[in-house]
Amino acid sequence: MSTSKVTSDLLRGNTDTMVLKLLSESDRYGYEIVKLIAERSQGAYELKEATMYSSVRRLEADGDITWYWGDESQGGRRKYFRITDKGRATYARNKSNWEYAKRVLDTLL
Amino acid sequence: MTDRINDYVDGVFKPYEGAKSVAELKADLLADLHERYRDLKAEGHDDATALELTIDSIGDIEQTVREVSALSRTLERQLVTRFDGTDQTGGDFAGTTVRGGKFSGSALRGTDFSRADLTGSTFRGSDVADANFDGANLTDVTMTASDLERSSFRGATLVRTDVSTSSLLETRFAESALVDVKFRMTDLRRTVFDNCTFTGVDFSYSDLRGLDLSGAAITGVRFDRADLREVSFRGATLRDVSFRSWSRKYRNALRTVDFDGARMDKLTLAGLKGLGVDVTGVTVMER
Repeated sequence: MSTSKVTSDLLRGNTDTMVLKLLSESDRYGYEIVKLIAERSQGAYELKEATMYSSVRRLEADGDITWYWGDESQGGRRKYFRITDKGRATYARNKSNWEYAKRVLDTLL
Repeated sequence: MTDRINDYVDGVFKPYEGAKSVAELKADLLADLHERYRDLKAEGHDDATALELTIDSIGDIEQTVREVSALSRTLERQLVTRFDGTDQTGGDFAGTTVRGGKFSGSALRGTDFSRADLTGSTFRGSDVADANFDGANLTDVTMTASDLERSSFRGATLVRTDVSTSSLLETRFAESALVDVKFRMTDLRRTVFDNCTFTGVDFSYSDLRGLDLSGAAITGVRFDRADLREVSFRGATLRDVSFRSWSRKYRNALRTVDFDGARMDKLTLAGLKGLGVDVTGVTVMER
């Protein structure tokens, strides 16, 4: 039980970076983000809608992403999220921080 | 079946309607859920499974909504204060009669209202933190969207008092019979109810985590869709009490509630059993 809790906290702590990574590839809407995270992790990490919306709100407040209305017909208008230049810089920094932490942890664990 | 997704999300958002940002979050979430439901059906899941998986995919949305709405309500409170309010900080209304008083949007921090008759008064969106309402008559008083933190209500008359959407952190209620009081959508995590009885009280949508209601007499009270993790009803008496919500999270939270030594009527007991609560320590009361 505690193992899965630790793992899930560790993953959740990197949600913002995961979202930035997905948006660095293409503009996306909410459900696309949670769906792609489930697909790419082969179901190992299921990002909840609440966690995702909390993350995009934070990223938007920090100026890392913006949003615009798409013009899709099915399921009504969709809000698409787009990464900003600041967001790309944040992603690069988070990614290199993670690479560094991973190297350090590998020597310690 | 997809109506039930709408119903569920309506229920979660109902107390927060009004704020633009909240309405947007709701629309985004609904669009996502309907798309997920269609995907799950296309994968061959039956209606009930698809619905359960869809609802599960939401996670702790109440927390996210609270973050969004807390911000807009703070802004609202400041605006009201600036235009309508009066500053009575630390004022003395002890023992006065102010029936139907209008205190909305006022700064009343630390004010002494002890033994005052405030019947029918309104304190909407006011700062009433650290105030003293001991022995006051608060019948039909509206105290919504207000800051009541650390205020004291010892021996106050609380009949049809509405404190919904107010902040009640470390607020103290003692020696009171609460009748038809509304606590909808309030944060009661560190509120104290000392030697109080609850009749017709509404705790729907509120955060009651860790609240101690042990030994209390609780009649006709609603705990629907409230967060009840680690609440203690130890030795309490429960009659016609409503525990309703069909989310898995609510059922899981109920399993952490302490009903040891509680006494309850058959209907309340049946409701709890239906939600999978362990009722071995409970005594059934005949009416």
